[in-house]
Amino acid sequence: MIEDLSMHVADLVENALRAGAKHIRIALGRKGGALILEVTDDGQGMDLLEAERAMDPFYTTKDRPVKVGLGLPLLRQTAEELRGRLDISSQPGRGTRVRLELPWDHPDRPPIGDLAGTLIPLIITSQGVEFTLVLADDQRTWELDTREVRDHLGGLPLTHPEVLSFLERYVREGMEHVGLKEDG
Amino acid sequence: MKLEDLRRIRERAQDRLRLRGGEARIKIVVGMGTSGIAAGARKTLRAILDEVTRRNLSDVIVTQTGEKGLAAREPIVEVYEEGKVTVYGEVDEALARRIVAEHVVNGRPLSEHILEVREVKA
Repeated sequence: MIEDLSMHVADLVENALRAGAKHIRIALGRKGGALILEVTDDGQGMDLLEAERAMDPFYTTKDRPVKVGLGLPLLRQTAEELRGRLDISSQPGRGTRVRLELPWDHPDRPPIGDLAGTLIPLIITSQGVEFTLVLADDQRTWELDTREVRDHLGGLPLTHPEVLSFLERYVREGMEHVGLKEDG
Repeated sequence: MKLEDLRRIRERAQDRLRLRGGEARIKIVVGMGTSGIAAGARKTLRAILDEVTRRNLSDVIVTQTGEKGLAAREPIVEVYEEGKVTVYGEVDEALARRIVAEHVVNGRPLSEHILEVREVKA
């Protein structure tokens, strides 16, 4: 069984960064009876063979095998066990989209965990990459876009400590707003 | 809570800079190129930010840069002070916290971890 979903969101974002993405969109929502997570990037993408290999538990393109594969295969295994689904669509040169759907009320569904505390440090330390984070339920949508954040900050870096803690609180508030309060 | 609140953070940071004559006392730069990130620079940067926030060091700014050409010694951290820059190598989370506590707060550079000290124009 996989750990907190937020750790896997971070893992998918790391994959996108390694693929040279300049924009990464992360969408997490509760729609109908399902939890839906989508991570879309504009990185180098994969052909069909590479996409198949990405599901191999021991395949990795990472230079240093600190973590050997397992991210995507584990997500797929969890999706199958919970009767959800995991889809990957990718095109070389165009980017990749990973979409996970899990039944919200399944007793074995992994908790979301600390999405803000996991994702915001990753976002602010990814120089030259813009992020869109979308949180939603059936009625409401909440969005954070780093381009808008930069507009408000002028030249102040995203790594400014007050900005870091503001963004973490802001995302936690967004989670509450759409009924996705961390259930870790 | 609104994103517009970020403007207030910016204004406060600018006011503090103005009070000090437009310069931060110390600037900490973390190398966040590919090799730096592979060596753990994200955790290093996060540890520095934690430590700066926890100690309320409002006269310190933390920023990042790309490859430093010292791949074998990543993560690299540079501490800019008036007239000089101190370059540290292989800075893990624990060392990052010590750099803030000893060098930045107490003014005692950690000589055993320094790769280079350069003079810079004020």
